[in-house]
Amino acid sequence: MRINAKDFASALLLLVLAGLGLWLNTDHTLGSARRMGPGYMPMLTFGLEFFLGLVVLGISFVSGPDPLERWTKLDLVGLFLGIAVALVAYPLLVAAVPALGNNWYALGIALMIGLFVMAISPGWRKLALVLAGMTVFGVLLDQGGLFLAIAAMVVISSLADPDHRPLGVIGSVVFLIALCWWVFIYELDIRVNIWPTF
Amino acid sequence: MELLLDNLAHGFGVALSLNNLLFALLGAFIGTAIGVLPGIGPVATISLLLPITFGQPATTAIIMLAGIYYGAQYGGSTTAILLNLPGEVSSVVTTLEGYKMARNGRAGAALTIAALGSFFAGSVATILVAASGPALTDIALSFGPADYFSLMLLGLIISAVLAQGSVIKSVAMVVLGVALGLVGTDVQTGQQRFTFGIPELSDGLNFAAIAMGVFGIGEIILNLERPEVRSVLSAKVGSMFLTKEEWKRATPSVIRGTIIGSALGILPGGGASLASFGSYMMERKMSRGRNEFGSGAIEGVAGPEAANNAAAQTSFIPLLTLGIPSNAVMALMVGALIIQGIQPGPRMVESQPDLFWGLICSMWIGNVMLLVINLPMIGMWVKLLQVPYKYMYPAILTFCAIGVYSINNNVFDVYQTVFFAVLGYAFAKLKMEPAPLLVGFVLGPMMEEHLRRAMLLSRGDVTVFIERPISAVLLAIAALALGLMLLPGLRKRKEEAMAG
Repeated sequence: MRINAKDFASALLLLVLAGLGLWLNTDHTLGSARRMGPGYMPMLTFGLEFFLGLVVLGISFVSGPDPLERWTKLDLVGLFLGIAVALVAYPLLVAAVPALGNNWYALGIALMIGLFVMAISPGWRKLALVLAGMTVFGVLLDQGGLFLAIAAMVVISSLADPDHRPLGVIGSVVFLIALCWWVFIYELDIRVNIWPTF
Repeated sequence: MELLLDNLAHGFGVALSLNNLLFALLGAFIGTAIGVLPGIGPVATISLLLPITFGQPATTAIIMLAGIYYGAQYGGSTTAILLNLPGEVSSVVTTLEGYKMARNGRAGAALTIAALGSFFAGSVATILVAASGPALTDIALSFGPADYFSLMLLGLIISAVLAQGSVIKSVAMVVLGVALGLVGTDVQTGQQRFTFGIPELSDGLNFAAIAMGVFGIGEIILNLERPEVRSVLSAKVGSMFLTKEEWKRATPSVIRGTIIGSALGILPGGGASLASFGSYMMERKMSRGRNEFGSGAIEGVAGPEAANNAAAQTSFIPLLTLGIPSNAVMALMVGALIIQGIQPGPRMVESQPDLFWGLICSMWIGNVMLLVINLPMIGMWVKLLQVPYKYMYPAILTFCAIGVYSINNNVFDVYQTVFFAVLGYAFAKLKMEPAPLLVGFVLGPMMEEHLRRAMLLSRGDVTVFIERPISAVLLAIAALALGLMLLPGLRKRKEEAMAG
């Protein structure tokens, strides 16, 4: 029998999220219907979500074949390795350099390393590089300044497109730095460092 | 009537201030641009530009964001007609007859009727919003907490029922949205819920991060995975003037399209794309040129284009009068208002007259601007399409990153966006429609508050929801809508409709 893999995976996602929510909700007082505590609405919401997950699970057996895209072995390895590396890197970074605990540096750097690991597999490369670009922006922004952060983000995310050209990327960097300076600094005056501060 | 004119005069006074005019123009301009460009829609753009509006007064901000939404409906038609490339979902049906007209050398006429039809529909819808606003507000003020809860439930269910794809999965997405809305401090007890001890989460998940992650960045990754389709303008635009015969055929279609579009726009979960499709079906069945459908019938352009623009504007009615967003774009408007410190609801007409009447009048002014932006400048918009995606997406990414950072000046929000981009990508791969999620996220906290209040008043008696007549009717409609969609026959009709 061919099941609907998309529906099946959706159901699993819903069930996991609902289960997680119900489990976390055990910390909150339920209260009564008349005087609802902080846990009442979450209980209703996640309970309903769990039920809907079960319904989607049931439907997935009859809604006809709708396979997921094929994952190569490298894609699978890339995904799990990336997640594992990020999860291991985060506590290590905090333990090794306590200063990284500030401003979410450890989170950003761990995320960045994980995404770069994922980028090794061709199936994840586009996703990983676009998101890595954005993460690098977050890591660099406060100390490196806006211009450096934009440049790094544009260069890394441009790599996601297989036919990028060095000259085109440089052009994008220059253009976007100029545009963002005009829009965000000159016009909107957001509070952010422009140049690196050490 | 007298009062309405007074109010409109007041509104024009607000809308015609230099700053508001400028931002209406900016909104209309950006809207047209993203309407022309496939791969970036109004939801992503509005969430992208939310932070830019923070420094402005609330009225100015909403005027600009509204301009983007209805501007996108205009822009979407241009590429649909000239290149057979719908820039927006709502202009998918315009490609059917519009592109055929272009191949017959009548592209100019199609563009003209699309713009004029939209303008007519926009003007009528503006009047409709102005007239119905205060009336509906009076009704809304008699609503109790139980009625509100039921109304929001109805809105959520209909937005799920009318979403693309599986109804049950869309309902699940709504509930997931409500669940995401639970994160943060509980309003009544002050307890932290689902925050994992992260101080940044005590105000809840960042609304802009969800919208940008799911609709902006998730979409970029999906676009990169698809091979790029480069399109070239093959047909000549030709004369922009309609023949007498074409006028005669198009006029009734525009009027019908305006009516159906206005009606479908008010519906929760409705909006521009549903309206343009509804109008197309109607024209194919009952217009004079129905036999010419498939070979470039002007009715097939005039009706849907009028309808989508009318709907884009009337979908503001539930938001402005009841405080209930009917689709993802309106959910963003709620987000924008809340960030500005305004709680959308029935009291908005009285407490924020500048905003309400100013927005209505600026819609009409915006429509005039769009006529000017679109018709004489079509060549420029087509050129915009020649910018390759590889230069566009780093720019979108940059604006997302800086925008989301500048809301709280906190990089944690940047990482939140990354997280929701992954989630949005997964949703797309699993065919889970994200628009209902956003509506659920916005309505969730309000629903919880009304539920608590209703239950407190009724002393924990659930029957209050069916004892109050307003609430009972609303719940019945919700049950009916859900029930109907579970019927196989109707579901198939909807699938055909959504597939275009």
